[in-house]
Amino acid sequence: MCNVYLKQILFTGCILLLSSIQLFSQNNLKLKYKKSDVYAGIEVGSKGVKMSLVEISRNAQQKNIEFNILKDTSVNTDFISFTQPTFQSTLTGLTGLYRAAMTDYNISSDKIYTVVSSGVKIQAEKVDKAVWIKNLIDSFKIKIKEPRRQVAIIDVLQEAKLSHLGIVPESRRFNTFLIDIGSGNTKGGYFPNNNTNDFKLFQLSWGTKSTANATEKRLEDDKTMYNFNKQLYRVLAGQANDEIIYSVNLSGAYNMSDNIAFSGGIAWSVATLISPELIDNPVIPVTYEDVEGFYDKLYKNYTSFSDAEIVKTLADPTLNKVGISKEVQRVNKVFDQQSLMAGTGLLLKIMRQFEGIYEKKQFYLVKNGQVGWISAYVDQSINKPDQTVSK
Amino acid sequence: MMRESRSSLLLLVSLLLFLMSFVILCTWGYNTYYRSKEDKKAASFFIKDTAAIGKATRDIANATRDSLQKIYAETISDLDKRFDSSLNYADTLKGSLKVKLAEFYTLKTEISDILKNRNNDSDLGLAKEKIAELQKKVNELLGRNNEVEQENKRLYAMLRQLSGEKGAESTVRPVVFDNKPVTDKANLPENLFQAFDLHLSALMVIDDREMETYQAMQTDKFVGSFVVKNNNAINNVAEVVIIIMQPDGKVLQKSTWESGTFESQEGKKIYSCKMRFDYTRGEPKKLLFSINGEKFIKGNYSMQVYYNGALIGKIYKTLT
Repeated sequence: MCNVYLKQILFTGCILLLSSIQLFSQNNLKLKYKKSDVYAGIEVGSKGVKMSLVEISRNAQQKNIEFNILKDTSVNTDFISFTQPTFQSTLTGLTGLYRAAMTDYNISSDKIYTVVSSGVKIQAEKVDKAVWIKNLIDSFKIKIKEPRRQVAIIDVLQEAKLSHLGIVPESRRFNTFLIDIGSGNTKGGYFPNNNTNDFKLFQLSWGTKSTANATEKRLEDDKTMYNFNKQLYRVLAGQANDEIIYSVNLSGAYNMSDNIAFSGGIAWSVATLISPELIDNPVIPVTYEDVEGFYDKLYKNYTSFSDAEIVKTLADPTLNKVGISKEVQRVNKVFDQQSLMAGTGLLLKIMRQFEGIYEKKQFYLVKNGQVGWISAYVDQSINKPDQTVSK
Repeated sequence: MMRESRSSLLLLVSLLLFLMSFVILCTWGYNTYYRSKEDKKAASFFIKDTAAIGKATRDIANATRDSLQKIYAETISDLDKRFDSSLNYADTLKGSLKVKLAEFYTLKTEISDILKNRNNDSDLGLAKEKIAELQKKVNELLGRNNEVEQENKRLYAMLRQLSGEKGAESTVRPVVFDNKPVTDKANLPENLFQAFDLHLSALMVIDDREMETYQAMQTDKFVGSFVVKNNNAINNVAEVVIIIMQPDGKVLQKSTWESGTFESQEGKKIYSCKMRFDYTRGEPKKLLFSINGEKFIKGNYSMQVYYNGALIGKIYKTLT
């Protein structure tokens, strides 16, 4: 009899403990909205697997998506090499992040979205390795024991459109041209007809890394910064220039947009280094002259962008100097001087196409662009599950 | 014996589980309590009905009277500080300024009389209205003050440009701008926009109706306006940036898409919003802006208008 009671106490204790742990892990995330749900978006990208935990406001009255990025983490796996080791590490990363979302952050399976990005799809098709994506998805389903789970493969148009919906607020939706400068390419677009069905896609085969690589190839024996600057000018004035002018003209964005917003790693870096005072702002308005001045300083006085030097220039005592210092360190870890110059050079070249004498466009640098499309994807999946690629 | 030891083990494990649950729940409770404490604090402000001022007891009435006296005193001292210097140099507009000052002093005396009479509570409403009127007058006078300062600054710059003599400084009276003499560093000839008639109002929104308020907890947004004028404008399009500085020293930002940084003559600054406008030479142009906020704090706010990195206008606003 006593044993029965003890077993009951033990069982109750276990339940209580599990509930407490669940409650604790949910509250560990710093939520912003009063009514919200937490979703996880896991994306297999060209460089690796990325997980974003997004808090989406549950306010039925608001038309625009309001989201708050709770966590953004990634595992570098280089899936697009399409080798057995990179396949295995991508699978491990994908499974690991999925389990982390479920166990560490207590997000139920129906609130976890798994997708493969357009970059992977394009590269796989280019080298005839599309079957590797299928194999990865099948292996993932077996590993997590969810045979019914669907992993969507997003195409470039869908990704660009979702990024726009996720990043640009509704008040600026139909007059903003969003351009995402990636490492290997640049993509973006705008809504030309005042509705979100029609989207004008913009693409360039130049990105931060490809521009830097093309410049490095021209350096030969002279590895000085002076030569890098000279060769970068030639790269951007040559083939890249022709493609940029052609693509911008073709897009018709000059006449249709008042705002030009840039996202991608280089936009985040430039925004952080140009306006460290606005470390908490996800978007930074800039002028062509601001970015031009920044490029000059990058070339002539790169040391002024170290975290210590930047913090020294901050006179406002209300600023979070520790946070600013950490973020600047993060930028300097991701991009070195040459990559920053290459990316900024490309950014300036695109901005130049919108810098008219009489009509000035407003430029913006978006810092959290990488989670924009996954947030919009999650939002669409919740509100219009039949119109979005299933989970 | 064996059974007994098994039972003890089970009991021990159960106790351990309960203890762990208790610790985790306590930690969670602690976090939740302190996180919600601040929200509750903010919410409690709004629960209090400010309209109950008329029904309040004598103590509350006295407290209100004291706070009104405080606003009144702050308004007067605020104005005094900024007028002392400019009055000496406001030659051209001295006449109209005198009329306005006379009105201001009459109002000031009226309010003093009401606030001195501690026996009559019904006058508090009247005092409140009069203080609002006084603050309006202060803003008008400050706008006028700015106009005088800008005009002086412009004339001084023109004089310097025309004379082209280094010794000119010794013959010209130093111009006072924002209580500080203009330094040699100011590139005045390039910065010929003037800002005057600066206004900054705090508004509360009830049922889609906007009403002016002076209380921080009632404020939903700031609406500002000013007039810009440039007799030497070259371009058709001009841009000014506005800074609303909060009492805690932080800049009130309109939105992340509208607030940024700019280089001013005093160094890099964060701006609340930027205004781009078409401009015709010599024409006064009125510009309006509004900035919403989630929570406004009590204290002195300042509105600063910059053109080409130089401060061209500044006023203060107090929320109680």
